[in-house]
Amino acid sequence: MKDLKLKIVTPEKILFEEKVSQVSISTVMGEITILPNHIPLVSQLASGEIVVKHNKKEDASSIALAKDEDLMAISGGFVEVLPDQVVILADTAERAEDIDEERAEAARQKAEEVLKTKLADAESFIMFRAQIEKEMARLKVVRKYKKRGVRTGHNN
Amino acid sequence: MPQASRDIQRRIKSVKNTKKITKAMELVSAAKMRKAVSKVLASRSYSDLVWDTVLHLVKKVDTDKHLFFKEPKEVKKVAVILVSTNRGLCGSFNATLVNKVIESIKIHHPGVITTDVMTCGTKGRDEVRRRKINLVADFHKEDITANSEDIRPISHMITKDFITGKYDKIFVAYTDFMSSLKQVPHVKQLLPIVPEIDERLGHINHDKDKVENISVDSFAEFIFEPGMEKVLDAFLPRLVEVQIYQAVLESEASEHSARMFAMRNATDAAGEMIDELTLAYNQARQASITSEIAEIAAGSAALE
Repeated sequence: MKDLKLKIVTPEKILFEEKVSQVSISTVMGEITILPNHIPLVSQLASGEIVVKHNKKEDASSIALAKDEDLMAISGGFVEVLPDQVVILADTAERAEDIDEERAEAARQKAEEVLKTKLADAESFIMFRAQIEKEMARLKVVRKYKKRGVRTGHNN
Repeated sequence: MPQASRDIQRRIKSVKNTKKITKAMELVSAAKMRKAVSKVLASRSYSDLVWDTVLHLVKKVDTDKHLFFKEPKEVKKVAVILVSTNRGLCGSFNATLVNKVIESIKIHHPGVITTDVMTCGTKGRDEVRRRKINLVADFHKEDITANSEDIRPISHMITKDFITGKYDKIFVAYTDFMSSLKQVPHVKQLLPIVPEIDERLGHINHDKDKVENISVDSFAEFIFEPGMEKVLDAFLPRLVEVQIYQAVLESEASEHSARMFAMRNATDAAGEMIDELTLAYNQARQASITSEIAEIAAGSAALE
């Protein structure tokens, strides 16, 4: 099968750059999955998760090492899809294994609290809403990752 | 000890102290430079990709449609964002940047009636004020810009000013980080967006990994979700923000390497000065000993 060149970058670093078989992302219009030979597309992204599916590799040596899926949380950005390449320009992005669940939860609660107590101007309201959304996405991703880790006995 | 050699000794001591300080500052700048350079390099790939996306988009979009692409008929009012430093002691860093700004505005846009400057960094602000240039805004600059959110107030303000037609063109002036030895002041047009391959923003030096230039023309369709207008409305301000962010990072890396070299030069100069003064001191000491011996010899000769 054809490969899809996936690149996920944030202003701070290149998070991911590999050939994959498919990638699922949540745009502002809803969740989409991109397979190779997708029609060219430019879309705005919402806070959410990115699920990357890798190609099953033929040689036995890599099977032990290679995970077949990667989970990431992002908070908004853009995606540009060209037939054999996907570029995700994320505002912030993290791999599931890098997210600290407790801290994500604490950050979400804090943002929620601030939102409740002070209904300041519209701008900061939007900002905190966005922050909550971002933390929710991170939490979702990290919980999913943990669950999966237990199920498949995959715990590195 | 006679007065002359005591004076020389005092000077040697003070130069030695200065040398210690400049040496320490050099080391501090070197550490800061490493940090800033790694940040610049990391964010370059992002801004490259954003720019690539824009280049793809402009082929599919009627560029006259969006305000951000529209080239003004005559350029009367321009704004310049001047990214300078908060601290001095970095050689001619800020002065050359301000010179470059004045010069490029004069040469490229002779019809400009007013030039407003927004500064980021206190040294640039002082320089602008000294030269009596219109200063409309001064943004606080962090020593190390943590993330692109710090830039948002600036980009917000200039996009608003551009949309309302307050300015015909907006530039950003920063110092391009080519290598730790070479930094070049550069003035770059932010708005309206010029959809051309950007040569600068460090592009000369870092080899842009050519992700096989796909010709977008071959695609009949290009989907925009949730719609072309909306995507552009969200994407283009982001592009502006990214460009300012990149400019600030480039300036930071340049600042620290400029300071490191300024301090290294100062340390070297101090070393040379110490050598010269030590020589002068030794000569003075020798001269006084010789004259003392001569006096004693003369005294004993007089007694005989």
